[in-house]
Amino acid sequence: MQPAAPPGRDLRLDFFRGLSLWFIFLDHVPSNLVAWLTVRNFGFSDASEIFVFISGYTATFVYGRVMRERGFIIGAARILKRAWQIYVAYVFLLVFYLAEIAYASRGFENPIYTEEFGIFEFFQKPDIVLIEALKLRFLPANVDVLPLYIVLMTLFPAALWFLLRWPNITLGASVVFYAAAHHFDWNLALYPYDHTWFFNPFAWQLLFVIGGWCALGGVKKIDAILRSRVVTALCIVFLIVAALYQLSWLSHGVTRRLPAWAMILPLDKSGLSLFRLCHFLALAILVIRFVPFDAPFLRSKWMRPLVLCGQNSLEIFCLGVFLSFSAHFILTEISTRIPMQFAVSFTGISIMVGVATIMTWYKDNERRGGKPPPASEQSLGGQTA
Amino acid sequence: MRALVAASALLLLLCTQLRAASETCEVPNSITENYSRLPHVAQAVKHDNKLSVLVLSGVPSQTGTASSLKNYPAYLAQSLHERLKDVGVDVYAHAEPRKSITDILAVLPKLLDERKPNLVIWQTGTVEAMRGMDPDLYGDKLVAGVDIILKANADVILVNQQYSPRTDFMFDGGPYTDNMRWVSQTKDIPLFNRYEVMKYWADNGNFDFTALRNDGSFERLHRCLGGLLSDLIIRAASLPGGLDR
Repeated sequence: MQPAAPPGRDLRLDFFRGLSLWFIFLDHVPSNLVAWLTVRNFGFSDASEIFVFISGYTATFVYGRVMRERGFIIGAARILKRAWQIYVAYVFLLVFYLAEIAYASRGFENPIYTEEFGIFEFFQKPDIVLIEALKLRFLPANVDVLPLYIVLMTLFPAALWFLLRWPNITLGASVVFYAAAHHFDWNLALYPYDHTWFFNPFAWQLLFVIGGWCALGGVKKIDAILRSRVVTALCIVFLIVAALYQLSWLSHGVTRRLPAWAMILPLDKSGLSLFRLCHFLALAILVIRFVPFDAPFLRSKWMRPLVLCGQNSLEIFCLGVFLSFSAHFILTEISTRIPMQFAVSFTGISIMVGVATIMTWYKDNERRGGKPPPASEQSLGGQTA
Repeated sequence: MRALVAASALLLLLCTQLRAASETCEVPNSITENYSRLPHVAQAVKHDNKLSVLVLSGVPSQTGTASSLKNYPAYLAQSLHERLKDVGVDVYAHAEPRKSITDILAVLPKLLDERKPNLVIWQTGTVEAMRGMDPDLYGDKLVAGVDIILKANADVILVNQQYSPRTDFMFDGGPYTDNMRWVSQTKDIPLFNRYEVMKYWADNGNFDFTALRNDGSFERLHRCLGGLLSDLIIRAASLPGGLDR
């Protein structure tokens, strides 16, 4: 058994981010039976919460150190460089999305598709659509979390500066901002119908900041409380109730027995409803409680595919979206039936793991400047935000 | 040898069963389950011997009297005529092409006043999903629309977006169906989950919705949908007439 990373690296972050990337891919393949395995079907929150929280955590961990050691300007420059990389990734995916739409339009000769024909009304002005897409005012459905990430990273230098000085006050301000966004219905507008962003950045910033607060030692300060039996029991009960709620949604016969006040589903994902946030936090608390920093399974070869994907998150996220487009293509061209849904799901994940392995090998090689690795180290790349 | 013959016979039987299944409109009860009643429909049929149905949608080709159409309102009308022989059944489809729920709310009172239906089959959610309307806002507007219809002494059946494998990567109808589900429960009105019904048929090979041109499945699909809606109405209003299939 080889170590998957140098000692000191928190592989839990890589592991769970890898898992969220697999889930995001499976959920993005339309009408996919395999997506029933993902976390969203067994509770209130889903892979998006995991992804945003860990992104906040790692961004703070990596750029916080740079900002502390080399000052605000260098730290901010690094963060904005990352935001730019994410923007480029978004534009890259946009091209594939538009190509897929152009291809899908072939099916519109079939009268079954009369209902969706309206999709193309705004594509009659491609010049405007492209400009609006570059301005993040027209967002393809499957890449929504990337624009959120771009906005959060662009504003992150200031947030990080505050976080490094007054972490608790910054977290408090983030909570107030979240509450205000809900109260005043703040969100960013989209072209062309004056609707709003699916991932409301004013609400989702809270999870990113909570991630940053945890990375700066916030969790350690309340470690005793988080590990108490009462908190653990409360979290377990909450997760069980949430799972029952989510599963009950499958049957009218069950939900119709609920009194009106107990009808909390469907939850608001756009605004990161409080139930979703609490569900994610309960999950995170239990992970901290039961999965230690150095849990042996995190370094086992069986978990390595997940860890590798988590260590190359931006690339693998983009690849996942691209693969979901490809999977859609295969499903419509060959078969939409259940065996094919399994086939494209497992092939997609295999490709994600394969590419993550190559990316890690490449980064590792680059870092060593082409020199052979030291015998004692089998490192798999540095922490990325 | 005997075992081989038995196995072949079993395989043949299975194949014929599979083939038979693929030619029916059947779906499991779990997909079409409904616990809500249609009191205005029951009242109109039993006391007035008439039934007026309004099918409201955003599909341009789905507008006019049922006999002039080729989609499910036509087959629904046909099935209701056959099953409620002595009842004056009138099915009329009205489309507001590419209009979102906000625009539909504005025209709804006038439409109800003109047609005076006993039942409104409201096909909704597609345009809103394509335009990325806030699903919660959609839910609130749907409640407002259902209230308008109920106040006009008509029942409502909600019909969600169709399963559309060629375009479903572009928008996610799930949150809108979830909101319809919530409205259907809080207002105690039926929801016909067209997406799940069609998905079931596609997964099981009854239909191939990815064909580039119409291979006859359009008519077959709408005949099946019309039949299932007719079943739902008959059952939810406790009318005589038995099952359509």
